[in-house]
Amino acid sequence: MPELIEKLSFYLEFPFVRYAIIVGVLVSLCSSLLGVTLVLKRYSYIGDGLSHVAFGALAIASVLKLTNNMLLILPVTIAVAVLLLCTGKNTRIKGDAAVAMVSVGALAIGYLLMNIFSTSANISGDVCTTLFGSTSILTLKLEEVILCIALSCVVLFCFVLFYNKIFSITFDENFARATGVNTTLFNLLIAVIVAVIIVLAMNLVGALLVSALVVFPALSAMRVFKSFFSVTIAAATISVFCSLIGIVIAILAGTPVGSTIVAADIVAFGMFYSIGMLRNSGN
Amino acid sequence: MIFRKLFVAALATLSLAALSPAADAPSKKIDVDLSRMSGTVVYGMVYQMVTYPKRFVGKHIRMKGIFSTYYDNEIQQRFFGCVISDALACCSQGLAFELAKPRKFPDEYPKEGATITITGDFDLASEEDEEPYPIIRNAKMTNE
Repeated sequence: MPELIEKLSFYLEFPFVRYAIIVGVLVSLCSSLLGVTLVLKRYSYIGDGLSHVAFGALAIASVLKLTNNMLLILPVTIAVAVLLLCTGKNTRIKGDAAVAMVSVGALAIGYLLMNIFSTSANISGDVCTTLFGSTSILTLKLEEVILCIALSCVVLFCFVLFYNKIFSITFDENFARATGVNTTLFNLLIAVIVAVIIVLAMNLVGALLVSALVVFPALSAMRVFKSFFSVTIAAATISVFCSLIGIVIAILAGTPVGSTIVAADIVAFGMFYSIGMLRNSGN
Repeated sequence: MIFRKLFVAALATLSLAALSPAADAPSKKIDVDLSRMSGTVVYGMVYQMVTYPKRFVGKHIRMKGIFSTYYDNEIQQRFFGCVISDALACCSQGLAFELAKPRKFPDEYPKEGATITITGDFDLASEEDEEPYPIIRNAKMTNE
């Protein structure tokens, strides 16, 4: 054990390891907060759809040789998130079908563009890194970390400031509208925040594993806690803890960061599921 | 002009030979030992070396990776590299190296893909009209 601590403190001397931990904690915190709302609104899979859209946008940004990919990825992902979350029931292609269509469509177009207009010698490596995160969390630049901190602060501020409105929209949108809440505006806000989180989380776990950060902490917390507030706090705690554990294990054992974090989330879900079962059988 | 260049080069070689440590002198302290780090951190570290090479110039480096070689037809020169892969094995990065005691290729080199350990000084090599690239100079190579 002291050997592991010594090794970890040695790794922590490197700025890129510290950046990975900062970004990992912030992204997992933000994704878990919105995760509760998305799970309750039956939009668990939207993270997957939007991350594939972000992948498609990344491919277009690579083809256009943009110096800052975020200039294209963020607006495109936000636009699709708004389309998916705000059009509600007034569309011909509804809910899960729209998410599935956007998800696979963006993935296919992204991969196609990357192959046709290849700008790199290692296409499979680029695709693999984007889809599974690979080590991109350990190759972050200082400006990317600052951008992540700034966007995370905006997300946290919006969530705390509009907590009551998000709560009412999550459970009963019609009732919220009847009580004077501008549901269109707040749905738009949720869509923008979700898109920002997805784009940030792609660096941490990759496009294919983003949904895990959104869904697992919320579902784990729901096994044990019952109120919206307690579930939100528990989901945030579980998510941050699992991310920290996942990053530390990945650094010490040399495993892929994204999948190690998701594995930690699965273990946490198993534990909370068991606790919930035991509590219910006791009652 | 060309004689002056040759003379300076010869003088520099002689000075280096005079200043170079004896064969049995104690080995230099390793500043960055990549062979002791986990695969995930090594990948991040080599990325830093390739992206911000100036921060590492002059550091004594040890790294363990896969032996790789490449022949540039244009300048008719063979390059040697030590390549490491990330945890998913889908991306790899490497550093070129230059042995302190040149060996004959291919007889005295390991087979491509063999695991090697390189110890040497991190430096920047520059070709005409090209971006300088990181290289490990005065390298010692051991293969497993």
